[in-house]
Amino acid sequence: MGGGGGGGEGEPEFQIAPMIDVLLTLLIFFMSITTAQVEAVDKNIHLPVAPDAKERKPNSNQMIVNVKWSNENQKAAFMLDGSKYEDDESLKNALEAKKVGRTNPEVLIRGDRDLQAKEIQKVMNCAAQAGIDNIAFLTVNQAQ
Amino acid sequence: MGRIKHEHKNEDVGFQIAPMIDVVFVIMLFFMVKVGARQTETEIKSKLPGSAETSTSVTGMESLEETIVIDENGVIAHNDELLDSGGKKDGDLEQLKARMTRLAEQGRADKSEVVVTVSTQPDTKYSRVADVLNALQFAGIRNMTFSVSEEL
Repeated sequence: MGGGGGGGEGEPEFQIAPMIDVLLTLLIFFMSITTAQVEAVDKNIHLPVAPDAKERKPNSNQMIVNVKWSNENQKAAFMLDGSKYEDDESLKNALEAKKVGRTNPEVLIRGDRDLQAKEIQKVMNCAAQAGIDNIAFLTVNQAQ
Repeated sequence: MGRIKHEHKNEDVGFQIAPMIDVVFVIMLFFMVKVGARQTETEIKSKLPGSAETSTSVTGMESLEETIVIDENGVIAHNDELLDSGGKKDGDLEQLKARMTRLAEQGRADKSEVVVTVSTQPDTKYSRVADVLNALQFAGIRNMTFSVSEEL
């Protein structure tokens, strides 16, 4: 065996260079996954906490409706793919347009925890009018 | 004093590997701890009421229908019976979780499908609704619908 050739040189020494390589690789790994998690959560919306819910698995059939609550105006704002919709009718039309080409469309409601239930109901009504049956409420696993 | 003089003699200080490893270890520890406490997005799936009724009839199973009502102050009632918090914070949610778990077990024993309707007032806080939906997830009840009473 070729590996046995170094046996005559005495005791094997602790190699510092491969250890640093491993450490840096681990460091980059942990840095990248913490950064990815921060990007996934919209900081402007404080989602309600539901520790027993399943982790979200993103797919191309999902349409995420952000529902923001403004304490100053006491009014909710709907956002779909970066566009803001002031009323239910325009949100319904947008959902109808975006569901084209999706086999099993699903509306994910990302609502602020301070919202009133009627605002969530508005999104559900829009989804129903747009012909989408599958909905999901987005939450977070723990408070920050 | 003699010791300081001795250190001044070593002018050619090379790259020190030991403190570098210490620093890398500390940074790595920081990120490892941060990963454990990270906030991730979770989802609670549901079907809109009209389609949920259709799906239960297709399976041909008996369905066990229950109603949970949340009023505008966040008080929870299960089948018209108010849940008692017992003076504890979220004590009513613990009670609801226990009830829903029993209900899910009963459904499995009777081979019937458990369908829960969560009904709220228009002004009920969404966070309170999420608490109740979380209790249903805890019990493993997947067939649930959420409705808001019409404003007067």
